[in-house]
Amino acid sequence: MTRKKVKLAYIPSDSARKATFKKRKKGLMKKVSELSTLCGIEACAIIFSPFDGEPEIWPSPVSVRHMLSQFKNMPKMEQSKKMVNQDSFLKQRIARANEQLKRQRKDNREKEITKVMFKGLTTVGKLLQQDLNMLDLNDLGWIVEQNLKEISKRMEVLNKGGSINSSSGATAAHSSSQGEKKSSGFEQKQQRWLLDLMNPKQNNTGGFRGEDVIMFPFGDGESATTHSNNLWSNPFYP
Amino acid sequence: MTRKNKGRQKVEMVKMPNESNLQVTFSKRRSGLFKKASELCTLCGAEVAIIVFSPGKKVFSFGHPCVESVVERFLTRNPPQISGTMQLIEAHRNASVRELNMQLTQVLNQLEVEKKRGEELNQMRKASQAQCWWEAPIEELNLPQLEQLKMSLEELKKSVGKQAEKILIQNSNPPPQFFPGSSSNGGINLPFDHHAKNNTGFNPNMMPHGYNNNPGFGRGFY
Repeated sequence: MTRKKVKLAYIPSDSARKATFKKRKKGLMKKVSELSTLCGIEACAIIFSPFDGEPEIWPSPVSVRHMLSQFKNMPKMEQSKKMVNQDSFLKQRIARANEQLKRQRKDNREKEITKVMFKGLTTVGKLLQQDLNMLDLNDLGWIVEQNLKEISKRMEVLNKGGSINSSSGATAAHSSSQGEKKSSGFEQKQQRWLLDLMNPKQNNTGGFRGEDVIMFPFGDGESATTHSNNLWSNPFYP
Repeated sequence: MTRKNKGRQKVEMVKMPNESNLQVTFSKRRSGLFKKASELCTLCGAEVAIIVFSPGKKVFSFGHPCVESVVERFLTRNPPQISGTMQLIEAHRNASVRELNMQLTQVLNQLEVEKKRGEELNQMRKASQAQCWWEAPIEELNLPQLEQLKMSLEELKKSVGKQAEKILIQNSNPPPQFFPGSSSNGGINLPFDHHAKNNTGFNPNMMPHGYNNNPGFGRGFY
């Protein structure tokens, strides 16, 4: 096994192409055979080499012809439903790969933001040194809030429902009533978040007062309004 | 360390005893088979047809240039027709496939980059966990630690809010000179307009991949 990465394009060199064809054709036949055995199903392969006109087939001419007639006897719809050629197959693969890429990027972003959060904890008051834009701040705020929720839940567990102070009590009550609604914040328009941020009228829980106009994370205790517990648009689960 | 699967295991060449495993195996292996066939066609210019009947009696098939033509070629034992039109169609098709292969390669490469980055980030987190107790998973912290962490996070949250407010204010105040005829938007940036000129002096992005090029504010990660 060479394990060298092969470029997904026609091999220009005749000898290399021939060698590759020989190996891969053998491997392909083996895979068809394994699929058939392991899953107890019928399968066949027809391969026309670019070098000569005689096809190579698996398992045998008789079986192949039998399967082909079986295939042709199926309604056209059934035949074409799961039929692909290079074009459609590659498009499927591309779509799948893009999905994976999206997921991985989202994951990485979450990790990056968490990193920023931890950094922000140790450089108190110097958050600005990290040069964050609105998007980053939004995500950061969300992650901080998620962590706070988790902490409150955990604290509730540890306290075994005993007397908790008012703030964590409110938050704990909220977390439990909310369950695991991770995606509920998404619909929020960012404007609302900022509005809440700047509007001291809504800040009536007695949490952070004075010059801090930031809303208390769990709002005014009403979970009826969607915005009260989810100030930060959910960046992770659109 | 969480593993997604057990890794490569040797499998006995008999029909799989477990029904659901069999289904999964069929699904995965069929997909892999088509992938190999596709590669054979691309790399060597072979013409291939593969027909597979599923455990559920459905039929899956792959063919290049297409299942019908390869099947016909096999059944009729005719050499492939090489008419002028056919050649043109063939050429078009091959060009399209070339494009798609390039696209696929590109996406796969990007995916690999991101996966590596993910691993890197995991390592970094592990390393810093050794030194900073607060970076450990929340389940591992005791009550006083949780209290302390909670307070710090709430402080941080305030900072974040303040910082956001600051940026907002900076953005909504036009700079001293206002040139109505200039190509810029006159210095007035709408708060959530990521395409506006950066005249507030903050870094466009600390994150790789230019996330602030995404339209739509609330998405954050896309």
